[in-house]
Amino acid sequence: MTVGLNAFLLVSGLLFAIGFFGVLLRRNTLVIYMCLELMLNAVNLALVAFARYHDSLDGAIFVFFSITVAAAEVAVGLAIAVALYRKRQTILVQELAAMKD
Amino acid sequence: MNLEAFQAFAADNQWGVLWPELSMALLAVLLLVIDLFAAPLRKSVIPALALGGQAVILVILVLSFGCAAVGDYFSQMVNLTTLGQVFRVFFVLTSLLVCYVGWVYLQRQNLPRTEFFALTIMIAAGMMILGNASNFVMLFVALETVTIGFYVMVAYARHSPYSLEGGLKYLIMGALSTSLLLFGIVLLYGAAGNPSLPHYTGDGLSYANLNNFIVANPDNLLVLVGAALVLCAICFKIGAVPFQIWIPDVYQGAPTPVTAFLAVGSKAAGFVVLINLLRGPFAALEAFTFPLLAAICAVTILFGNLTALGQRNVKRVIGMSGIAHAGYLLLGVLALIKGVDWAVWAIVFYLFTYLFGSFAIFGVMAHLAGPDDENQELEHYQNLAKNQPFLAGVLAIGLGSLAGIPPLAGFIGKLLLFIAAFEARLYSLLGVAIIGVVISIYYYFGWIREAYFKTLEVPPDEASGETARPYPHPRSLSLAHRLLLGALAAFTVLLGIYQGAFGSSPF
Repeated sequence: MTVGLNAFLLVSGLLFAIGFFGVLLRRNTLVIYMCLELMLNAVNLALVAFARYHDSLDGAIFVFFSITVAAAEVAVGLAIAVALYRKRQTILVQELAAMKD
Repeated sequence: MNLEAFQAFAADNQWGVLWPELSMALLAVLLLVIDLFAAPLRKSVIPALALGGQAVILVILVLSFGCAAVGDYFSQMVNLTTLGQVFRVFFVLTSLLVCYVGWVYLQRQNLPRTEFFALTIMIAAGMMILGNASNFVMLFVALETVTIGFYVMVAYARHSPYSLEGGLKYLIMGALSTSLLLFGIVLLYGAAGNPSLPHYTGDGLSYANLNNFIVANPDNLLVLVGAALVLCAICFKIGAVPFQIWIPDVYQGAPTPVTAFLAVGSKAAGFVVLINLLRGPFAALEAFTFPLLAAICAVTILFGNLTALGQRNVKRVIGMSGIAHAGYLLLGVLALIKGVDWAVWAIVFYLFTYLFGSFAIFGVMAHLAGPDDENQELEHYQNLAKNQPFLAGVLAIGLGSLAGIPPLAGFIGKLLLFIAAFEARLYSLLGVAIIGVVISIYYYFGWIREAYFKTLEVPPDEASGETARPYPHPRSLSLAHRLLLGALAAFTVLLGIYQGAFGSSPF
């Protein structure tokens, strides 16, 4: 039995949706970062699937860029989270509301 | 190994055409190297080198404007156009002014300096590439250079919980928009690669190929969803409703020069990408993009102006009014979609007036800010006209230009955009925009009123001591600062009276 392109896209879409709603609904910064990673990985899965089924390498190569960018993003994000924890002793987003108007 | 194929492939990799971007990046690296190996020179040499180096690049860019290379390079990764050239000038100028405001800001803060200049210049280089990208890979990499740099810069004042909080919020929202952009790109790539559709292409990431495909299949569902996601991600960057939620907190928390960079540079970068996409691959999707952007435009103008009314923190006022300015610019983009080609130059002119007006205001803000940079309230500006008539004058000219008061540049900018919209028959949106302008005059003049007509009310029990003044204004300003701020104000007045190539004909 072979797995079709649509199956990959379905999984990718589901992962993306889980990540998206995770970012909107979860409270912990680290969990939010994981959800962001999940979204980027959903994109990578779709890219590789398209590249494989449409027989073009461009998508597969794009994945490298997206992985690199995701790593850089998380590196900066964790640095900010650590610095913020030192100042505020929390990384729960609902407690990070110092600026109000 | 087939060497000739590689030679043909590499033939249009002419690194020389990217000299402005490369020299900006080299300048940033040079600053870091000097910081590393010549630490004693840090204070004196680095700001001078950062400002001077960019000034030299800017002058060469402007002088060589007419003979700049145009066309496809790097296997269609980069498409150099006159528009891209104009935006190169714009971004170098922005970065130069951000470095100036940053220099003023850093003199009052105990923060590392070199990295600030290096990051600013790197981000500007990324923006310059962004203006010329003609492939989604290039677009993505350049956009992320800009965005990740901004995450660091928003959180730059790491002793301040506000700055860090702003950085975290910008990072979460920015990464979310990056994911949306990527997913949109993937859908476009996937749709364009489908062998069962006419004009399918293996390289759906290049604008030219994608354009051919979309012209043949304008109703493909995957294409529409992908284009919508890409446009959403760009709306995040320009701060259009409903993707504006990050703006107030990030603008308030970020150091003043970074707020200026976000307000001017990031917005302009978003618009140049939007223009390139709408004139390139998305040109055939007019029936879909127009109603989407028209709705966003109307809501953005009203939301930005109405929320700016209630703000007391000046950075939040700038942020909210910046949303409204994004709305006016979208009006120009809509006129462009409707076929008014010179609307591009109206947008560019508006961005330049926004640049001069905003940096006049941000320059004044940086001079007046105390050590706690994020809490600059409107009350801090009381008595300004009496103590610092020069700064108050620059502030009034900048604010007047943003509000669109004749004869300042902002008025002509708005006028050109509105004429473009009128030619495109966008009458109802034009009405919304004019209502927005009327509302905006109220809060811009509220700020001017604080500076000119309000005297500080000192509470009676503290009235005895001289130190009771909670917001001391700096007593004197050196000549260099006066010259630069004066030049910004002068440009704002000058562009209002004489528009040169912008006013008469579209280049």
